Amino acid sequence: MTVPLTPGPPAAAPADLDGYRARLRAWLESHLEPRTSKHAVSGLDPGREFTPETVTIQRRLQRSLFEAGYAGITWPAEYGGQGLDSAHERVFGEEARRFLLPDFGLAGKTSLGVCAPTMLAHASPEFLRRHIPAMLAGDEIFVEFFSEPEAGSDLAGVRTRAERDSDGRWHLNGSKIWSSGAYYADYGMCLARTDWDAPKHRGLTWFAVPTRARGVTVRRIRQITGDADFCEEFFDDVELTDDDMIGPLNGGWAVTQTMLFYERGGGAGTSGKPKKRRTAIAPDLAALAAEAGRSGDPLACDLITRAHVDDLVRDAFGTRLGALMRASPAAAASLASYGKLAAGTFEPARAALAMRIGGDAALTWTGDGGPGASAAAGLLNGRFMAIAGGTNEMQRNTISERVLGLPREPAFDTRKPFGDVLRGARTWDGRVG
Amino acid sequence: MTVDLIPSTTEEQTSIRDATVRLIESEFPLAAVRSFADGGPGPGAKYRSTAAELGWFGLLAAEAHGGGSASGNGLLDAAMLAAERGARLQPGPFTGHGIVVRTLSRAAETGRLPDTQAKTLAALIEGRSWATWLPPAVGTSAGVRAVAVASGPAPADEIVLAGDAGVVSDAGECGWFLVTAGHPDGLMQVLVPADAPGLTVRRRDGLDLTRRWYSVELDSVSVHPDAVVGPAGGQARRLLDEQLAVAAVLSAADATGAMDADFRLTVEHARSRIAFGRPVGSFQAVKHLLADTSLWLEMSKGIVSAAAEALGSGTPDGLALAHAAKSFTAERGTEVAQNCFQVLGGIGYTWEHDQHLYLRRLSAAATEFGPPEQHRQHLRDLAEAS
Repeated sequence: MTVPLTPGPPAAAPADLDGYRARLRAWLESHLEPRTSKHAVSGLDPGREFTPETVTIQRRLQRSLFEAGYAGITWPAEYGGQGLDSAHERVFGEEARRFLLPDFGLAGKTSLGVCAPTMLAHASPEFLRRHIPAMLAGDEIFVEFFSEPEAGSDLAGVRTRAERDSDGRWHLNGSKIWSSGAYYADYGMCLARTDWDAPKHRGLTWFAVPTRARGVTVRRIRQITGDADFCEEFFDDVELTDDDMIGPLNGGWAVTQTMLFYERGGGAGTSGKPKKRRTAIAPDLAALAAEAGRSGDPLACDLITRAHVDDLVRDAFGTRLGALMRASPAAAASLASYGKLAAGTFEPARAALAMRIGGDAALTWTGDGGPGASAAAGLLNGRFMAIAGGTNEMQRNTISERVLGLPREPAFDTRKPFGDVLRGARTWDGRVG
Repeated sequence: MTVDLIPSTTEEQTSIRDATVRLIESEFPLAAVRSFADGGPGPGAKYRSTAAELGWFGLLAAEAHGGGSASGNGLLDAAMLAAERGARLQPGPFTGHGIVVRTLSRAAETGRLPDTQAKTLAALIEGRSWATWLPPAVGTSAGVRAVAVASGPAPADEIVLAGDAGVVSDAGECGWFLVTAGHPDGLMQVLVPADAPGLTVRRRDGLDLTRRWYSVELDSVSVHPDAVVGPAGGQARRLLDEQLAVAAVLSAADATGAMDADFRLTVEHARSRIAFGRPVGSFQAVKHLLADTSLWLEMSKGIVSAAAEALGSGTPDGLALAHAAKSFTAERGTEVAQNCFQVLGGIGYTWEHDQHLYLRRLSAAATEFGPPEQHRQHLRDLAEAS
């Protein structure tokens, strides 16, 4: 992107929060549309389509936010942020939730919520100066090129390869999968193997790969719901340079740890902000019971209340987890696995409960379907958190080893050259040592 | 080791919690609980009076009436202590006693506490006697009826109570019972001394050996009208709803403490027991089961502390969170105990190992003060009323 970047003026003297709030409110009112109840606030937002036109509209909004000095509030000023403290960010959150902020869907959340914080922790100053302001301005949307068809839970087992030629240029070959929103993104943050003779965790390097570079093919994947939010990519001799590296050569695993922390909500999960009080009992399930003609059915009532109890418990647990993470920042990354496991186990259970409540109404419907169709979609999507971004099993490994202090599983692939590991796996018979 | 029910405690909370742990470790440690389970003596009067000095029994009473909290939220403090007691399988009607103290203190605050009851309140806060609370039995037709008897024109000069007050834990040492009785005007609560003629407390054998179980029956027990606590009718119903929520929180906190201790034992076993040339805790089948179990334990701590926080500070969602805490810990608590049992294997099936004491306590906790279904019914009633 070559659009000139003009980060906004420093927005406030640090202490003057009230003045900051007043100016912010005035700006929001004159530049953004108010949010109404018909606007979805769900995280996954399934089935949402982005076109070049809708992305352009969002880019324009993001740029106005950036130019007004309300993007990257706590990020360093030298990279286009505002360099303010978290109190300002909190004020922004409080005021802005009544408005429709720029929204790039899943890719936007990845770009500013996962990729940028990871880059800020690991990338060179030159890289940050080139990309972070552009990300804040909405000119560059980054997604993750991370999982592969043959490397999901075993992330360090990636096989996409980057090789340096005699001119010092890198050549990228391989494929990635499950990249959220890559079809409308500008870059993928890509993990590649750069040393096949090193043990698996020590031969990895991160690169920024333009989605429109020669040799890159992005294809949308149709999911079991019929939606297509995720993509797969194929790299056919894509040329990159050292300038595209994020973090040090063969130092990619440390970068990965940071990335996983942000991906598992480590940054956002610790805000400790009070949850909205739940007054009604699981309104979505109550509506489903009504649709199924079971509003007064005591069996359905108990199932609905059971789900409501779990909802209340998950809210309270989120607050506790945030407090635990703030109390011991060193353990925060491991503790984040609890939040992920809670979602990955309670969400499928809730979705299954909905099917029992809905009965026929959740199996068949007419027209746009209403609560019954939502329950059916929920069943298909309910296991999302149990698999995406680290399966339940990976969270259980983290919790049992890093929180409970249980001994590790034996590992047979961490010391040998990775090339040998792959060859050895083909004749695995379980007899080692 | 303490149960970290509250992630960050104030200095005063830390102090009362640590003193509580010291008291238990010196006066009634697990070895004493084991002997108690085999028919040995209970904690005794010194335990009770030392606990009173630490402030156990005033946490749910107003300062003006002899009470006082550590953090400003006495229920949160009491829940924290209940968790430590549960972790060490302590006998004694801590929950019921707390509810009686709270109820008498509330009555005193509204200026409706006769002198005789004010004296009882002081005795209970000072640990001179145990008292407990007898809620209406769940899902049975049995219950206590109260009749006001007047020998001349009104007011009544005695209240006569009759009926089955159900099964209650740790009633044997109680000097007082707060009985909930049906009355023509609605519900009525009456403070009855244990030595009142016609009141029979009968020992029962039971699953949970860490506490002793009794049935309480009233056969034409006559008390002075001053023994009536709080108002009759609709307001007594509201009082009962609050008592049930406090019982839910304290009982859930006790269960959470028991889960925590049982789980600790189990993790220690998984680390040290060797099979197939490795600690069994290195097998994914075991470590994954323990990870899920620890999630439920942490979630229990989250909901119990949130409920105690809200109910103790009088925020509107306190009652709902209390019932949610009870419903969740009742169901997950028994699963936690069963998972621990599975990982402990054969050793957990022996009398010598502590596991069965936790399993027994958690299984009893699951239905004490009403089974989870009943607490979910309370949640629905609350949502309809709001």
